[in-house]
Amino acid sequence: MSSAWLTLTIVALCMGALGYYAFVVLPNQLHRWRCQSLRAFARAVELRTQGRFGSADLLAPLVNEVALRMGLPLQERRRLELAVYLRDIGMVGIPYAVLNKPTPLTPIEQLTLDRHAELSASIAEQIPGLWQVAPLVRLHHVVYAEQPEAPLAAHILSALDNLLVCVQRGYTPEQWCDEAGARYHPQVVATVRAVCRERPLAESLPLHRSAALWL
Amino acid sequence: MRKRRFWYWIGLTSLPAGVILLAASDSLSRVPEIETLFWLMLVALVAELFLVRYPMRYGYTDHGIWMSVSTPIVIATLVLYGWEAGVWMDAVITLVAGLANTLFRSTYPRWAFLNTVQSVLSAFCAGMVVTGVDWLIARESAWHFVLATGGALMTYHLVNSLLISTNIALFEGVQWGWAIRQNLSAFPQEATVMLLFSLIVGLLVKTFGVSGLVMALAPYLTLRQAFMLWTRQHDLYHQTIRSLGFLVQKAHPYTGGHLQRVAQWARRVAQQLGLPPERCELVYEAALLHDLGKTVLDERILNKPGRLTSSEWKQIKRHPQLGAEILGGTPFLAPVVPWIAYHHERPDGKGYPYGLKGDQIPLEARIIAVVDAFDAMIGGETPSQQRSYRKALSIEEALQELKRGAGSQFDPTVVGIFESVVREWQRYQQIARGGAAR
Repeated sequence: MSSAWLTLTIVALCMGALGYYAFVVLPNQLHRWRCQSLRAFARAVELRTQGRFGSADLLAPLVNEVALRMGLPLQERRRLELAVYLRDIGMVGIPYAVLNKPTPLTPIEQLTLDRHAELSASIAEQIPGLWQVAPLVRLHHVVYAEQPEAPLAAHILSALDNLLVCVQRGYTPEQWCDEAGARYHPQVVATVRAVCRERPLAESLPLHRSAALWL
Repeated sequence: MRKRRFWYWIGLTSLPAGVILLAASDSLSRVPEIETLFWLMLVALVAELFLVRYPMRYGYTDHGIWMSVSTPIVIATLVLYGWEAGVWMDAVITLVAGLANTLFRSTYPRWAFLNTVQSVLSAFCAGMVVTGVDWLIARESAWHFVLATGGALMTYHLVNSLLISTNIALFEGVQWGWAIRQNLSAFPQEATVMLLFSLIVGLLVKTFGVSGLVMALAPYLTLRQAFMLWTRQHDLYHQTIRSLGFLVQKAHPYTGGHLQRVAQWARRVAQQLGLPPERCELVYEAALLHDLGKTVLDERILNKPGRLTSSEWKQIKRHPQLGAEILGGTPFLAPVVPWIAYHHERPDGKGYPYGLKGDQIPLEARIIAVVDAFDAMIGGETPSQQRSYRKALSIEEALQELKRGAGSQFDPTVVGIFESVVREWQRYQQIARGGAAR
């Protein structure tokens, strides 16, 4: 092998290592940092809405798994994970009495609560580097029958958010899949069913409790 | 005073730098491939002009250093063409880029001069390492190239970091040890990435001459990307703290100015108590977030104008632990979690929520407790910042209250130090008022 070829080989190896670090390791590290810092916001909101503590931590890996199985690209999966942590941040603007009302909400209170998706999205739009997550956050309660053209990532988030609530209320994932109907994206429901067939989902979704709320 | 210090420091460093440049100029004319060297210098100059800001954790001001990715090119020159060429190249590119910065970024020309002097010293030390490797291993050996590049890069980076840290310590008034720790905090990653780039540039130029430089463009852009991502990671930390602070203010509007004042006073007390600078910064951040748990509570209780009932008090007493739980899942904020959880504990064990006693309570939490209580007693600077259910005390009355509670409710050492901090603040206020009157 001539010295020119040897040099090129060594340079290519060094470039590979450098490129891997700059374009794979560092962006991954940055994404983890983002998720960890957003986790603080998610926790604040979860503690405010009693009974939801730890839901983002449970939802994030589940959403990631379903998105991976459905073939979503890495960038989209990352955006989806950030949306999991940001989706309910708008709850800080909803009165405590509405969030924690033990009896059914009045139509006006329901309207107030429904504003949280829009509020969350507008907060996300204000955070540098997170504005691209805002559309997903805005659509995190999207109904498939009403907006089938919404991005697949939004359908995944909407379906799994509801699945988590239902499982924590005592439903089994299979029951949820059976009753999903046209409310959630059929492909998402089918993927959730496949995931549940491989491992029981309910066992991996333990209900987290805040120590402070039980003081 | 700082200006005089600057000129002493510049005099001390420029003398050896001048001698080095003179000694190097003697043999500069004998450097082979002067055309390649010229192109190499041009590329290094372009790299030097496109700086990347590397922030440093020091409060919330625009502290930071501008870093360039020209170092690997200088290292390649040192290894391939000898220390004389490397020293001159680094001097020329740093001076030209520094003067360009004077024009475009409105920096002072004296900084361009100081940077040039320090570049000469760093490049010279790195060049001496290359000369040492020359004696040990034959130049034709592949090991010579790798060892000389690695050794020169480490030396350059270390010497440069020492000199920059001295600048920061002298002119920013921070401790030298802290500045050097800040500068070297990312050393392993930076050194590995820079070493790879230096090897690539060196090998390409050695084998292909000037055309090898064109091929070095891709690794250069990659290196820049790595620097930008490090910077973004750093910024993210500050953004998180700031955004969480805004969240607290939104939940409880009274806390706006209160948090800022408590944070600034707490940092000053920590400094006076002799805590290391990075610890003082963490105290500032913890004080800014100490009421984060209130975002969880019912705003009707937080904003209640009258006296709270016992069940409402029970709710309020949860906020330190709630704050700790919120931050518990964020590893880079882990050090401040216990301080937030214990900021309402008392040395006599009558605090909440855990009833810890004396030294069981971390010093940082005791600092926040004192400063928080004082600011709550004086009730802010304007009537709108005062709490509706309690009459605000004067500064003297509030200090008397703190002294009365020293030993039982508050840490006596912290109270003593805090009093001196308040006196110092009052002196500044008087000077400021006097200045405004004039």
